Amino acid sequence: MGKLDGKVAAITGGTRSIGRGMAEAFIAEGAKVIVNGRNEEKGRICIEEINAGDSVTFYKGDATKQADVEGIVDFAISTYGKLDIMCLNSGGLANTAPVAQMTDEEWELEMDWNLNHVFWGMRKSFQHMIPRESGRVIVTSSVEGKLGKAGTPGYNATKHGVNGLVKGAAKEVGPIGITVNALLPGIIETDIVRSTGPESAVAMGVGTYENLIGMFTEESAIKRPNTVEEVAAVALLLASDAGKNMTGMLFPIDGGTMPY
Amino acid sequence: MGQLDGRIACVTGGTRGIGRATAEAFLREGAKVVVTGRSSEKGQRALDEIDAGDNVHFISGDVKRREDCEALIQGTVDKYGRIDILFANAGGVNNSSFAPVAEMSDEGMEDTLTWNFWHTFWTMRAALNHMIPQQHGRIIATSSVEGKVGKPGNSSYVVAKHAINGLVKAAAHEVGTLGITVNSVCPGLIETDIVKENGPDYAESMGMTYEELLDWFGKESAIQRINEVEDVAEVCVLLASDVAAGITGSLLSIDGGTSPY
Repeated sequence: MGKLDGKVAAITGGTRSIGRGMAEAFIAEGAKVIVNGRNEEKGRICIEEINAGDSVTFYKGDATKQADVEGIVDFAISTYGKLDIMCLNSGGLANTAPVAQMTDEEWELEMDWNLNHVFWGMRKSFQHMIPRESGRVIVTSSVEGKLGKAGTPGYNATKHGVNGLVKGAAKEVGPIGITVNALLPGIIETDIVRSTGPESAVAMGVGTYENLIGMFTEESAIKRPNTVEEVAAVALLLASDAGKNMTGMLFPIDGGTMPY
Repeated sequence: MGQLDGRIACVTGGTRGIGRATAEAFLREGAKVVVTGRSSEKGQRALDEIDAGDNVHFISGDVKRREDCEALIQGTVDKYGRIDILFANAGGVNNSSFAPVAEMSDEGMEDTLTWNFWHTFWTMRAALNHMIPQQHGRIIATSSVEGKVGKPGNSSYVVAKHAINGLVKAAAHEVGTLGITVNSVCPGLIETDIVKENGPDYAESMGMTYEELLDWFGKESAIQRINEVEDVAEVCVLLASDVAAGITGSLLSIDGGTSPY
């Protein structure tokens, strides 16, 4: 008997890394899961690798596009009949820069990807969950949702933004069986960090990818990056019945980096 | 297969309330557990009710005494050969400590600090001396929503629980690279036996009834109700498990959305 038997989950940015880890953890506990991503080919590979038959379905959509994000909720309902758990996990940055050199285009991309996507997905999920008086919304924020690194202004701002959204929204739906929480991972060497890390390292003034990882891990107590499995384990707890009274949490998974 | 198979845990204040629920959750996940408490009679009753044979053991001791705290840790090692998990959970406020700061006695402040903060320090220090050589350990302290915010009339508890959170953060950095994590759980109000016993006096000192007191805490939360012991137990299982190796120095609010940070 699984902790999520009979539950339906959707995960934005679910084909790789943290989202993928959540998907696999949820499926192992009996959930049916929609994984979302932009790339059809990566989606196909993900579904093949997870190899869970009818328990997992790919939804192609761009997390920076409102219609695509809202479409996930409709897709979950048409595919599996409902949506119990919405993981708004997609996010990142492309060409970050210090404030003085930040382009409007990059700023807008990060706003759409990290903040607006979470709002769109949460609003649409609530409209389905509120009448059912049941639901879980789990947002992937970041240590940068409480701290601020030089050279990543958009990321800092959007992750602080989602934390505020989570706290207020938790109060709106708290008495009616819906929880809203944020996960705040430290640095994890995901595919996206490996691909954008070298350029971010330059923008952040630390030179190399290794220095970038070191800058994060030095601030932690464990002196190493965090792992996908650590984040997935927390997501599973929050998604399960055991998490019914946990809401408005900004859950650090950062090896002791955050001061509060 | 449990998440805590083969692990040895010590739970202070483990015969009732949060500690009891957590001890049972640890047992369910395969750990062997020492529960501690002041009263041997309550200890025996807890063992009878838990009914887990040799997987659970009671040691009596008063956590307001350093030698008792150290004996609880040593007793755990003597019984089961090691200690992997310390849940420093005992604590509370006696009725004589409910007073506004202007009227607070030294004794009232000291009693609460000893019960909550010194007990956590004494057990943590003793446990670390076993965990550091074995390069593995999980320490979880019961703080409170009052470890992050302050309620009037309850300053000794607010101070003690803030101090626990400070201790947790510092210790986490000391042992972070040694396979040892140190975290606190910060529950909102839970109607445990100890709250049922001492709550009416606190309520009276605040000029309200016990029911109004529960309501006061519930109203500040997002869920508009108080928490349950099982909420805390589930978080403790996660923190105690192997997969939580990267979660340390965290002050985890289990308060239905009450704490602002």
